[in-house]
Amino acid sequence: MARRKRILASDSSAEDDVNLTPMLDVVFILLIFFIVTAQFIKEPGVDISRTDVENAERQNPLGILIAIDEESDIYIDKEVVTLQEVGFRIRELREDNPKGRLVVQADEDSDAGVLISLMEIIYNEDGLTAVPVSVEKE
Amino acid sequence: MRGRQSKQADEASVDLTPMLDVVFILLIFFIVTSTFIQEEALGLEPPPPPSQAESNPDDTAILVYVGEDNLITVNGRLTDIGGVRANMERLRAENPESALIIQAHPRARTGTIVKIRDEAYNAQMSRVNIVQSEG
Repeated sequence: MARRKRILASDSSAEDDVNLTPMLDVVFILLIFFIVTAQFIKEPGVDISRTDVENAERQNPLGILIAIDEESDIYIDKEVVTLQEVGFRIRELREDNPKGRLVVQADEDSDAGVLISLMEIIYNEDGLTAVPVSVEKE
Repeated sequence: MRGRQSKQADEASVDLTPMLDVVFILLIFFIVTSTFIQEEALGLEPPPPPSQAESNPDDTAILVYVGEDNLITVNGRLTDIGGVRANMERLRAENPESALIIQAHPRARTGTIVKIRDEAYNAQMSRVNIVQSEG
């Protein structure tokens, strides 16, 4: 009798020990998902005021962000970039992110000449026939 | 004898708790750093390459010019941002084939150009080009 009791007791203690393996599987799958989808977009790091418009399309997935601030300086990855360097920087960023869309964040009050010159460079680099410019939908 | 055996079995089963801690920390790190930036954008056409512009002169084009002082003229007629669409549609009605050229002075505001392009989308203009004027 005593012996049976002890066997029973050891049995129940084995069941008390929760099997963590399925949870670990799930956690690993989540981890791998987040590692794979983590796209480290290099943000220009300047605040711009966007133009309110009626036609806008959500850009997905994002890849490269180029900003023009209100002083008409071009920013890529938190650095001021001259118009001559932009093409080189785009090529550099394209190596890390071949598929993501390029979006220009142009401030409302920046000079149009800078934007248009930038669009020409982007056209030469990326062959985009319409350069997406970040806006706010009304 | 039995006691020793059960102790051995305890040591054989690996303690997963520290690894779980690490994995959770990694998981939380990746959840937090995965920034889902959303951008809404309007497509602006870059100026055509010079050779193409020369070989393809659009004599029936609608020209929207934005000057240094942000004054908008549509085919030489002074208007404001609210009147651009009406002017474009009137000129297109006269000549349905005409392309639209938005010409900006280099010092014009970007916001004005984007607004005009938006109006052109509203008016469903095809063949739009954005160029900048000299000087």
